[in-house]
Amino acid sequence: MNINKTAHVFFIVLTIGLLAFFPIKDKSADRLEIGEKAPLTDVEVTDVSGEVLTLEEVAGENGLLVNFSCNTCPWVEAWEDRYNPIAELAKNNNIGIIALNPNAAIRDDGESMEDMKERAESSNYQFYYALDKQARLAEAFGATRTPDIFLFNSDMELVYTGAIDDNAKSAEEVEQTFLKNAIENLVAENEIDPNTTKALGCTIKWPE
Amino acid sequence: MMGNSVVFKCILVIGFVVSTNVAVGVAQTTTSDSDPLLQDITGEELQQVINSYKGEKAVLINVWATWCAPCIDEFPYIVELQRKYQDEVQVVFISADFPDSRDRAKDFLKEQEVDWTTYFKTGKDQPFIEALSENWSGALPFTKILSRDGQVVASWEQGAEYEKFENNIKKALIN
Repeated sequence: MNINKTAHVFFIVLTIGLLAFFPIKDKSADRLEIGEKAPLTDVEVTDVSGEVLTLEEVAGENGLLVNFSCNTCPWVEAWEDRYNPIAELAKNNNIGIIALNPNAAIRDDGESMEDMKERAESSNYQFYYALDKQARLAEAFGATRTPDIFLFNSDMELVYTGAIDDNAKSAEEVEQTFLKNAIENLVAENEIDPNTTKALGCTIKWPE
Repeated sequence: MMGNSVVFKCILVIGFVVSTNVAVGVAQTTTSDSDPLLQDITGEELQQVINSYKGEKAVLINVWATWCAPCIDEFPYIVELQRKYQDEVQVVFISADFPDSRDRAKDFLKEQEVDWTTYFKTGKDQPFIEALSENWSGALPFTKILSRDGQVVASWEQGAEYEKFENNIKKALIN
């Protein structure tokens, strides 16, 4: 009876152990999906100017553009020459725009508010650049990298997310201006296609 | 009667584990003089490289870049694990550096004493990302581990410690 019981327990333990080694599905990030509402729109963030803002306040009549960005990522640097033209396009179409810096783990290593102020000045940012304290907004949006784009309509529903365009390194060699098209189609009330794109970027440096 | 049934099940399970562990295809790939350390590759070509190990080795794919701090931090762990499991696992490094940093990437590989073929991402981001994993957002570093039969055992964005890599390699080898 005891041998039987021991063997039974051994079998169960062995089976559970083996289950741990079965293949698992790729882990997916909990990212906002098209049609979902912007989260935490009432959370206050501080801009490099010292102004305290919420996403609700930044949003324009036709929507809101959020760009998770930072100071230390070469991909941001590569795309940065398109930041101001996009900001101008957004503003001209009554879409509010803000860049948020989520790199909470390396605030002492190039991502502090002081560093952000310097970056905004040296790159002549024509849009809000605010600190996403403890990366709360990035986490709620399901952002993963910098730069990472989220475009919302006037109801604050996500209509486009992903990349600025299809060529980080060279604005001249861009073949598909994803974000520009999305903004123009949003305002013209046309379908946005594609509404989701991907590009390489730096991982967000999440707080410990 | 019940006791015999349980013992029989145990024997079956142990037999399965032992057989999957001994059925190891061995094919060490190191660079020869004719093979560059850093070969250009598209997403489609990468899939062919990965498929070439199917049935022989588990595969650890790691997308990295010289400017990516977590990539640089974890890189030596992966090199060490390639040496430790060289007969059972193939590490496929892909540099996602910009073209003007290619030499820097090559220097880093030499510094890390990498002596097998690695790859340099070419072409557009999106098809490359999608060729590797539909759930990868594009953030670096990215790691994906496949069992010998090509099943995904684990994949993740962000850097990792030695233990995470090794634990998942072990899972890949048992699958």
